Amino acid sequence: MRVTVEPTYEMTKLLKMYSFEVEVADAATVADVVEKTKTKVGPEFDKLVRLAAVAVNGVLVSHQRGMKTRLADGDAIRFVKASAGG
Amino acid sequence: MIKGYAGRTLEVDLKNRTFAFKPLDEEIARLYIGGKGYGTRLLYDTTEAGIDPLGPDNPLIFATGPLNGSVAPQSNRFAVICKSPLTGGIGNATSGGSYAYGMKKAGIDILVCKNQSETPVRLEINGDKSEVAFIDASDLWGKGTYETQEILGKKKYHAVIGPAGENLVLFAGIVSNERIAARTGVGAVMGSKKLKAISVTGSRKLEMDDPEAFKEYTKTVRTLFRDHPVLGHSMEAYGTGAIVKTTNARGIIPTHNFKCGHFDNAMSLTGEYMADNTLVGTKSSCIHCPVTCGRQVDVQGHGTVKGPEYETLGLMGTNLEMPDIRKVQDWNYAADDMGMDTISLGAIISFTMELQERGMLQSGLNFGDPAGVTEMIHDIAHRHGLGNDLADGVKRMSAKYGGHEFAMHVKGLELSAYDPRGSFAQGVEYATTNRGGCHVQGGSMYMESVGPFTINPQNLKLKADIPIVQQNLACTINSMVLCIFTTYGMIPKAIHEMDPKSWQYRLAVTMFENSGPMFRLLTGLKGRPMMWWEKWLTYITGTTISSGHLQEIGGRIFNLERMYNLREGLTGRDDTLPPRMLYEPIFKHMKSGHPLDQLLPRYYKLRGWDGAGVPTRKTLDKLQVAV
Repeated sequence: MRVTVEPTYEMTKLLKMYSFEVEVADAATVADVVEKTKTKVGPEFDKLVRLAAVAVNGVLVSHQRGMKTRLADGDAIRFVKASAGG
Repeated sequence: MIKGYAGRTLEVDLKNRTFAFKPLDEEIARLYIGGKGYGTRLLYDTTEAGIDPLGPDNPLIFATGPLNGSVAPQSNRFAVICKSPLTGGIGNATSGGSYAYGMKKAGIDILVCKNQSETPVRLEINGDKSEVAFIDASDLWGKGTYETQEILGKKKYHAVIGPAGENLVLFAGIVSNERIAARTGVGAVMGSKKLKAISVTGSRKLEMDDPEAFKEYTKTVRTLFRDHPVLGHSMEAYGTGAIVKTTNARGIIPTHNFKCGHFDNAMSLTGEYMADNTLVGTKSSCIHCPVTCGRQVDVQGHGTVKGPEYETLGLMGTNLEMPDIRKVQDWNYAADDMGMDTISLGAIISFTMELQERGMLQSGLNFGDPAGVTEMIHDIAHRHGLGNDLADGVKRMSAKYGGHEFAMHVKGLELSAYDPRGSFAQGVEYATTNRGGCHVQGGSMYMESVGPFTINPQNLKLKADIPIVQQNLACTINSMVLCIFTTYGMIPKAIHEMDPKSWQYRLAVTMFENSGPMFRLLTGLKGRPMMWWEKWLTYITGTTISSGHLQEIGGRIFNLERMYNLREGLTGRDDTLPPRMLYEPIFKHMKSGHPLDQLLPRYYKLRGWDGAGVPTRKTLDKLQVAV
């Protein structure tokens, strides 16, 4: 199945793209996608991903089953940074 | 006189061109602090029910608080209070800039502008001489806020309106420097009085109970702010525009008139993108504020001006499906110069685009197409053509052209750029906030969908509790008068540095989510001051202030506002959300919209209100709300 990944702004500078698709196995979890993204971005990814939350279709994985959250075809995985203001 | 206050109010009669300095009412100051709280008390006590918001009987109250005039970071805001021409209920807005500082230097806590002038007028207030000059402002009438302030000069502190206020646009604001008291149409009330500008001067110094403790502690806070991930780092680097990426990822940034919460091309509207591509010069801040949240950009033909904030990027960017940041910067400048609220402006334009899309109105405005938007902004400000209808806001537009189900307002005030279907507590806050659908009268979204420590925004846990605590706190912040951004410093650096994917984070969030009674108990405790605003108030006024004290005072202010709204004819039926928010799902897993019907009864109960949303006598007595 295919899922869409939207990185943080800092990640996009390494990737040179604002979003991309990843092909994963049917029973894939968020952890699998993060691992795949890591290979695409390179070693700098670890530092960037540590402080970023991950959302599946807008819902943080920390409110679901964490990195073990199962994915479905067409899901959107987005890396999220905290912010404030308004 | 209580320390921290100038000790006097100024009443100006614009029709008869008279003025009077009067002593500040210390009892009101003790019960309501100042700013919004004091102003609401005055409005309630000095006006009859049912007055015309744009008539002579609606006073326009400028109010400072005990922290204004000090060098405390983020203490440079003034509040404006009146009956709102947009909602028919309580109207209020706050603004940064320098005017609040000027009022306190002039030795004025509260300025009440009564009646209406027949011709354009401006006020020059010399606080040291206790003089007020009424000056003909015909030469300024019609000019934008930038040019007006330039003509008035830099030696005084100004609050001005632009053409939108003059032409009674119902979402016109009042501008100080490049900041605006934007919401609920306070600028239209100023325009109805033919009052173009107020300029103040003076050399008073703020008296404090313990100036040494204040000075030392403020140094500590400045250091804390500089090192804080949000107030020190993110705000400085990216401004409030950093939120675009966050809310877009969480699926709650308004897109296509709130039809969805994710815009594929949002990246070019982020604070990060602006930092790399469009910012010029230095960042800007309000007077004495170390949090440089303001952006500076070049707008063709106008030089370097303030760039758009998050709300503008959301309402006039993603919501209109306009990925061109330079267009949004141009529109932001035009709105600031005309003196208009960009939240309401973006909402009314997106509403008009949806009417066009559905064939209900031919306006020439289309999603994703910038053609006609600049012209429409000016038409609204001058009430030309169709702009005359848009100038009345979304609620009135939907009454005229239809589209109630996608008219994005609460109580007549257009929604901010956080979709409540992905932020349930924020939805309760929108529905119940007295001035209408706004985010800075609480800021629940920070606890559930934007900040570094966010609970699950889509279950019912704490979703009625958080808005009450946040609304009460915001009432006091807006009465001191501080910037609401100060509350974003509450979450310490250590929390920011947690991995949000870790089991420790998940555990902490789960514990917090299930802390209902404990959460209410802890925030209501009266003890020693803990947060910086509590300590500042304590050092300045000499009265010990803690979280519990502020929750009580905030509850008093909130309930007084509520009683004002009830007196003006609003009811519990107005505590609702737009039908699109209630019935249209926005996420894959949702079957419907926001579960307001499940949360509102609990909110009323926790507030001490009856089933119809009316504060009980017991609640009013407990909070000492005299009505």
